[in-house]
Amino acid sequence: MAEPPLTEHNGTDQNDDEKGSIKSQNSQKGKKIPSPVPSAKDDAAADARNMRRIIAEDPDWSLATVPLLSELCVTHIVDEFQDHPKLDELLPKYKTKVLEKISTDIPLPVVAHLVSDEGYWKRRCKARWDICDVSKYGGSWKRMFFERHLENIVGHFVPESTDPAEVEALLPLAAPYIKKLNIKQLLPPVKEEQMRPLEDMSDAGSDSGDNQPSIDHFEFSQIIEKLPHIEEFHVTYGVRDCGMNFEWNLFQFTNRDCLLLSKCIKKCNTLKVFKLHRSKVDDDKVRVLISHILDHPSLEELDLEHNMIGDHGARAIGKLLNNHSKLKKLNLSNNKIRANGAGAIGYALTKNSTLKYINLRLNRLGDEGGQAVARALLKNSTLEEIDMGSNDMTEPTAAVLSQVVVQNTTLKKINLSCNRLGPDGGKQLQEGMEENNTIVEMDLRLTEAGQESEYCINQILKKNQERERELRLEKEKKEKEEKNI
Amino acid sequence: MSSHEEEEETGPSVDSTDPEERIAARRIRITKRIEAAKREAMGEDPNAKKKEDKEEQSKSRKQIEESRQRLTKLKADGTELVTNVKVAGDSREAQRRTEEEENHRQRTEKLEAEAKAGAERFEEITKKWESANNKDVPQDLHDLLMQQKALCDAMIDEKNKLITDFQMELKSKDDQYVKDLKKQAEDIDLMIERMEEQVKNLTRSYREELNQIEKAFEAERNELLDNNGVKWGQTMQGRRDKEVDFMKSREKRVDDYEQQIQHLRTQDAEEYNMVKIKLETDVQILEQQLQQMRATYQLNQEKLEYNFQVLKKRDEENTITKSQQKRKITRLQDVLNNLKVKLAKQEKQYREDNQALADDYKRITEQFKELQKKSKHFQATDTRKFYDIWVMNEEQAKQLVNDVLEQDRIIHEHQLGLPWNVPDVTFLENVGPLTSTGKKTVSAQQVLEEVMSSTKGSVGNGEDESELGEEEAEAGEDGLPKLSMKTIKQVLELLCDESGFLVESKLNKLLQPLEKDERSLMKLDAIFGALGIETEEDIHKLAGYFIKYKLIPAKGTDKHEDGEPSILEATIAGEGSVSGVGDGTIGTVTEEGEQKEAHEGEGEFEDQDVDAEVAQVTGEDEEVASVQSSVKSVADSLIHPNDVLKALREFVDDHHSQSKDKGKFQTFKIISGEERDDSQDEEYWRKYGSVLTTQNEKVWTALVTGLDKYSDVLNQRTKLISETDALRQQNAELRMLLHQYINSKVNNELEIPPTRVLNLEFQQ
Repeated sequence: MAEPPLTEHNGTDQNDDEKGSIKSQNSQKGKKIPSPVPSAKDDAAADARNMRRIIAEDPDWSLATVPLLSELCVTHIVDEFQDHPKLDELLPKYKTKVLEKISTDIPLPVVAHLVSDEGYWKRRCKARWDICDVSKYGGSWKRMFFERHLENIVGHFVPESTDPAEVEALLPLAAPYIKKLNIKQLLPPVKEEQMRPLEDMSDAGSDSGDNQPSIDHFEFSQIIEKLPHIEEFHVTYGVRDCGMNFEWNLFQFTNRDCLLLSKCIKKCNTLKVFKLHRSKVDDDKVRVLISHILDHPSLEELDLEHNMIGDHGARAIGKLLNNHSKLKKLNLSNNKIRANGAGAIGYALTKNSTLKYINLRLNRLGDEGGQAVARALLKNSTLEEIDMGSNDMTEPTAAVLSQVVVQNTTLKKINLSCNRLGPDGGKQLQEGMEENNTIVEMDLRLTEAGQESEYCINQILKKNQERERELRLEKEKKEKEEKNI
Repeated sequence: MSSHEEEEETGPSVDSTDPEERIAARRIRITKRIEAAKREAMGEDPNAKKKEDKEEQSKSRKQIEESRQRLTKLKADGTELVTNVKVAGDSREAQRRTEEEENHRQRTEKLEAEAKAGAERFEEITKKWESANNKDVPQDLHDLLMQQKALCDAMIDEKNKLITDFQMELKSKDDQYVKDLKKQAEDIDLMIERMEEQVKNLTRSYREELNQIEKAFEAERNELLDNNGVKWGQTMQGRRDKEVDFMKSREKRVDDYEQQIQHLRTQDAEEYNMVKIKLETDVQILEQQLQQMRATYQLNQEKLEYNFQVLKKRDEENTITKSQQKRKITRLQDVLNNLKVKLAKQEKQYREDNQALADDYKRITEQFKELQKKSKHFQATDTRKFYDIWVMNEEQAKQLVNDVLEQDRIIHEHQLGLPWNVPDVTFLENVGPLTSTGKKTVSAQQVLEEVMSSTKGSVGNGEDESELGEEEAEAGEDGLPKLSMKTIKQVLELLCDESGFLVESKLNKLLQPLEKDERSLMKLDAIFGALGIETEEDIHKLAGYFIKYKLIPAKGTDKHEDGEPSILEATIAGEGSVSGVGDGTIGTVTEEGEQKEAHEGEGEFEDQDVDAEVAQVTGEDEEVASVQSSVKSVADSLIHPNDVLKALREFVDDHHSQSKDKGKFQTFKIISGEERDDSQDEEYWRKYGSVLTTQNEKVWTALVTGLDKYSDVLNQRTKLISETDALRQQNAELRMLLHQYINSKVNNELEIPPTRVLNLEFQQ
């Protein structure tokens, strides 16, 4: 109805249109505005006294009471947006107005592709979640919305009971905007007892950990393939907030799951970050996974923390590192890697020339493994950061590390916390550090390295930090200049 | 925030819009970087330097740096504090794991031990079951069963105990787990608390630092403002003072100037008045002058008009004359042109003439050359002819002389029966024309030897002297001054002594053993060889130089004046005579034959002539002797040995030039003919005539008459003889005829042959 006037709205038309618009206005806003207004306005032109009198008599009267037709139109568009979405045809100022007002509950199929305004999506996000950190999503509220929405759906997807159509319906809408998926939980299929859900579960369930067959989880292949821009994928095979309904098989990562996931990862060529944590990944599964992601074209970061990877799995990872990947970051913290596995990883590190970060925290490397890794560091010249905290290492490792510190010039951060290096190891490290000027961080907490050594090392570290900072500033300046040029 | 950037911004900025400035900024930057790199290379810590720089920098920057450090420290501390919890957790977990491992091991051991024990017991029990089977007594069996049961119970109890143990352990683990959970919850709380505190702390400290930095900036700004304000005030004060000063000085100056102007005004007014008066008087004078000038002008105008008229007339005249002149000029031009043409013609002609003459000249010279050649040729032929004729005549004459002599001898011996004296016929030995060269050019060598030998054979050798005298006389004829032997000897000795350098050292050595005279002789020989002296003449010349050298410095004395011209005159006369003789010969050669005949014919006259000549020669002799005497007197005072070298030099120079001159003259000499002395020819030829003396001639004439008579007789006799002969011949012829007749066949036919008759006649 308001289409033509909206685009060709002028002050001269105002009077003519006003009469027509008032009717609709009245219907919407009730009897707030008294009818005499138009006559009063008409009279105002003819007789000033009339107007004055009316003002005196009518305390509710206000000049600003009558909204502009355009605004009325806008409100109407907003009201009818769900059924008749109109946005791109509007002039920019009306567009913003519309976007400010449309409801956050409008079904996604309507708005997903139509609305690209961040403001709207911000409103929508805020309406839905209390905590919204847009910086994690590249500053894009829309992306945040879709990613979290999809995560939510997948997280609550119960295989064989939830309708996969729901997911499929969402995918075409969300696919262009999703770059990262952080699946925090995966529900196992509801089995045996029809009404298993959460409350009925008792301790008996804990015993029945043997009903394993086919508790496979959500199949990612159906969504990952349809997300062309995905770069980051986090997944945990487990249930959150299970509370007292704990059951071991809630946290089961089956072989089939593993195989499917691996295939899925293999197919996805855009993926850069893959994170599979807290999922009871053991040696066999790791080997399946690694065998699939060998020579992956884009994968740069692999995160397998809080799993159950042992020496065999570590060997597979070693193979992956040995020039079969472009990995830059590898996180293996809180696994069960021992000396043998550490040896394999160490050997791989000597050959590798891409890895920059490796985390071996909370493993069981022991002195043997620690020395193997440390010796690898003597030859490696790409690794910048290593975490070997809580690995049951002692003085001999410190001796090798002191050499590393002297020879290696790429290493910047090293974490040795919670290893009983002892005062002698601390001394050796201190001596090594005195010839080093690249390392900026070295965590020696709870290593019993002796206060003096720690203090000295800290001083050196501080010096190195200062230097690094200056180098960085120089670099930034140079870049700036290059830009200027 | 960066101190570097701000440092940079003090100079020209890289972000400036001016490209020049950008370039400058980059240059500065590059130099800075290079310096930094150098410093680093030198082992200096650039940070240290920079820190110093920073200290020098303003408060605000210092504050920023401090704040930054404090904040980083705070942040690091805070982070450490927060992560401490995590680390502690990790540590605990690690601890737990090690313990767990230990426990696990113990547990497995325990279980294994238990299993073993259980198995043993079970074995025991099973064994007992076998024994139980053997038991037949129920009580025993019961007992056994009871026993077994007890055993089983015990085993079960043990197992149960173990189970309970494990369950206890599990429970404790559960408790532990709960505790751990609680602990972790606490940890998390603690962490959160710490984080919050950290955040709070950080925000607070950031705010504080920010405030401080702001304060610092403000303080700095205030300071700067104050400073600038003070400076501004100072400069303003200074300006004010200066302005006041300037005002004062200006006022003063204005006053001064006013005074000066006043003064100048009065002065100028006076001056003006004076000038005015003066100028007025001047005007009057000038007016008067103007009047005068006008009058003169009038006058002049008239004069000029008159002049103008005159000039006009003159002009007309001039024009007329001009036209005339023009006509004349054209005419003259024509003449000039004609003349030019003529000149050209003339020139051409003369050139041609010249050419022709040059050609003529060439031709003539060629002809002349040809002529010369011819003359040479003729000369040669003439000389040859002359020689041939001479020889022929000579031969004839000799023949004749010999004939005459033979005749004479025959006459003397045969006719007169007198002994025949052979007259002097040495001249007959001569063959060919007479030549005086052999006599003229006595080689220097000979002279030397002579001179030397003369000294040897004492001074008093009369013959030698006379010979010498003759020689000198002969030489005198050539005109060269002859010096006395003595003088020459002295000269030669001098030369020998002084010019030893001309002798080779080798020669000296060789000469060592010889006698003194011989030695000096050899030496002189060598010297002469070096000096180029070949003839006696040269020796005399040389001697002359030696004397001359003495003379020249002592010029002025009468003696020398006499001596020299005499020598010179002699030489000139000699030359003259030589040339005269040369000319004469050519002319006389052809006539010589006739002359010879004339000689023969006119022997007596020639005798007289010879006498006269002898007389002349003796006269000359006398003259020469007088010259000699004068020279001798000169020779007594020869030059000083020191001047010898000079003299030698001069001699050599002159000698060489002379020889050159000679070379030049030679061509002429050839042309002028052989230099020949024909003065003796006459005498020579006359000698032929005078072979027979007058006496002999007389004898001969007498003989001729006698013999003529005799020949007449003989002639008669011969006539007669010839008559007889003729008769005889007639006789013979007749006989022949007779014989013929006799021998003819007719005789035979005859009765009496005439032959028989003849024979008979003969027989009779």
